[in-house]
Amino acid sequence: MMVFLCENSPEGIFSGVYDAWMSRLGHKNVSLAVQGEYNYTLFSQCREVEACSWKAEKVVKAVREKISELAYSWIYRCALSPEPGRADVIYRFLIYGFHIGSGVTGYLQIPEVHGAFAMNRAVADEAHLLMEFVRFEELAGGILFAPINPKNDVTALLMPHFCDRMPEERFIIYDEKRKRAGVHTGGREWYFVSGEETRPLSELAGKTDRGEYAVLWRAFFSSIAVPERKNPVCQRSHLPLHFRSRMTEFQQQADGKSGK
Amino acid sequence: MLIQENLSTEEKLKILTGAARYDVACTSSGVGRSGKEGSLGNSRPDGICHSFAADGRCISLLKILFTNQCIYDCRYCINRRSNDTVRTAFTPDEICRLTIEFYRRNYIEGLFLSSGVLDTPDYTMEQLYRTLYLLRNKYCFNGYIHVKAIPGADPALIEMTGFLADRMSVNLELPTADGLKRLAPGKTREKILTPMRQIQLGIVRQMEKEGRQLPPGASSVLKEGIPFFSQEKEGRASLPGVRGNTRKNFPERAVSRQGVIPGKSVYGGFGMGRISNRRSYFVPAGQSTQLIVGATSESDYHMMRVAEALYQNFGLKRVFYSAFIRVNDDSLLPELPGGPPLLREHRLYQADWLMRYYGFQAGELLDERRPNFNIYLDPKCDWALRNLALFPVEINRAPYEVLLRVPGIGVKSAMRIVSARRQTALRFEDLKKIGVVLKRAVYFIMCSGRMMESVPIDEDAIADRLIGAERKKNLELGGSGLYRQLSLFDDFHLEAVKK
Repeated sequence: MMVFLCENSPEGIFSGVYDAWMSRLGHKNVSLAVQGEYNYTLFSQCREVEACSWKAEKVVKAVREKISELAYSWIYRCALSPEPGRADVIYRFLIYGFHIGSGVTGYLQIPEVHGAFAMNRAVADEAHLLMEFVRFEELAGGILFAPINPKNDVTALLMPHFCDRMPEERFIIYDEKRKRAGVHTGGREWYFVSGEETRPLSELAGKTDRGEYAVLWRAFFSSIAVPERKNPVCQRSHLPLHFRSRMTEFQQQADGKSGK
Repeated sequence: MLIQENLSTEEKLKILTGAARYDVACTSSGVGRSGKEGSLGNSRPDGICHSFAADGRCISLLKILFTNQCIYDCRYCINRRSNDTVRTAFTPDEICRLTIEFYRRNYIEGLFLSSGVLDTPDYTMEQLYRTLYLLRNKYCFNGYIHVKAIPGADPALIEMTGFLADRMSVNLELPTADGLKRLAPGKTREKILTPMRQIQLGIVRQMEKEGRQLPPGASSVLKEGIPFFSQEKEGRASLPGVRGNTRKNFPERAVSRQGVIPGKSVYGGFGMGRISNRRSYFVPAGQSTQLIVGATSESDYHMMRVAEALYQNFGLKRVFYSAFIRVNDDSLLPELPGGPPLLREHRLYQADWLMRYYGFQAGELLDERRPNFNIYLDPKCDWALRNLALFPVEINRAPYEVLLRVPGIGVKSAMRIVSARRQTALRFEDLKKIGVVLKRAVYFIMCSGRMMESVPIDEDAIADRLIGAERKKNLELGGSGLYRQLSLFDDFHLEAVKK
């Protein structure tokens, strides 16, 4: 068994897919893993894969042309998942994908296809929830800043939505866990900032928004609920607790408790 | 009446939000519009919820009243003239600033603007129009706007407002004209339905102009200008379709049994859906309304028939149901010792979905003899149990419309079944992965000619298990399918002696 160790990014994983496929060792004899998450196993060799944009582009082009756009969106989202087996899930899915063609996304009864489907759905669901629950805080100079702490690496899925929505605004979405920020300075373009450059951002995260409109929003939030219909279980199932620490409307309560 | 002139924005916001919260509609769906240079906002056709309040309801829009002053004295309404509360009003600029600043911070998806009737309906509508005009033009807001049409306002004002809003709504509130007369003395059925019809006509005309496919029955609305209420004795108006003899005037039969299109409303989309961000459209996300549940003595059957008639004859996108909350102490309002009728509201929503996306008709779910929903079983299970002769259904062969009628199979899983079974015969394990709720579906389905092992096929046993599954108890008791406690009431259908 030859294990291809890819870098932890969509580009790295797609490069790994390319190398594993072109190694001609046979699908049974190769598997993919992500660097840093792989634990050595008996009777297998490792090969490190360098992330190359041309390899990744070739894979992406082949998937979009020979399978479908939907299949491409699946594997892209899978690559953003934190699941340890994600690289291999993508590879196994693509084996069926290139064999069956554009209809592969309907073959949910095949375990490999269902695995990719379920993983893609988990990422898409979290991205959708964050689209709802991300809260921006206004910093000096009118810059909007939102810290997030997602399970999946969804910043790249969130940015296009907000760029389309607020083309005139300057805003930053900062992933605390991965120390990476999506930055938008106007228009439809945005870029990633990571590593040392994000240090000033990490100091900003985790504070309660005390701006004028944050106060107004909390007032609105508490008076929109109908007291006769109080239903915390329903609220919790729609809005899980782990999102709440970063949401403006729940911050005041937390502060009040610690203040007393 | 106490009118406060110099309240802070926060106090105003608290008062006017508290006054608006009994309106249930808070959806931001129905229109897809991308953002544009120089303005703020876009809109997604599936809508986005931004938060969930302590009552578990979604907060999608900034739901506020323009003012809580009102000339009417509707018994059920917290803002009625005779209530002694603090009255206030926003200025159009205040509303615009709140909307823009909340929207930038991703708190909301847009504005839901309603209002009490201040001085005259025309004046109130004009204020709403002015606010929307400012928001769209001065503040360059391109997000979602839902606005109320004030019954009795000049049609020209409603038309102008419609071109700035995404969705409009007129609340019917009470399902019968009698109830309206009793509880809302200032309003009549006619006054409420007139703007509703106007908005529907506007939407249909625009869809025709844009070359969109017209929903069933829409073309006759255009041509004939169908009267929307029948004159009964004493000139009292009632909704078409509610009484048997008035139905033949309406293009209902054309609508009645449309093929079910996966994921689309059976009644057709009265609205534009995806639109360009360069032009303005008339109410592109369609219109909605609201019915209060439990303020008057109507049965569930009656409510469903009214909702069905509204969908068919008025081209509504949604009918919302609001469990009645006794905010005023009034002798004409019912006492509700057990709190608002939330379960009843839930059942009505379930049935509403069954009508729009599953091709059920109100008459199939309920009838004159059984006018109310079962509290233990959802309407679909209930229907399936009464029609056991139609089951079990073969998963690998049944058409989409038939699959949809199986409890535990929804729109998405039915679509997935149809696409997956093209390649291979599906088994029970596969169904579970596809998203079918097997604990409800097993009693009603076969895979390749077989039902699952040890599944009972008589009505009482299935009902017993379904209710058990819903309450999550007594499951082990009936687990083997062989032994269970006999009950005089369930097994021999004895009934308690009625007084």
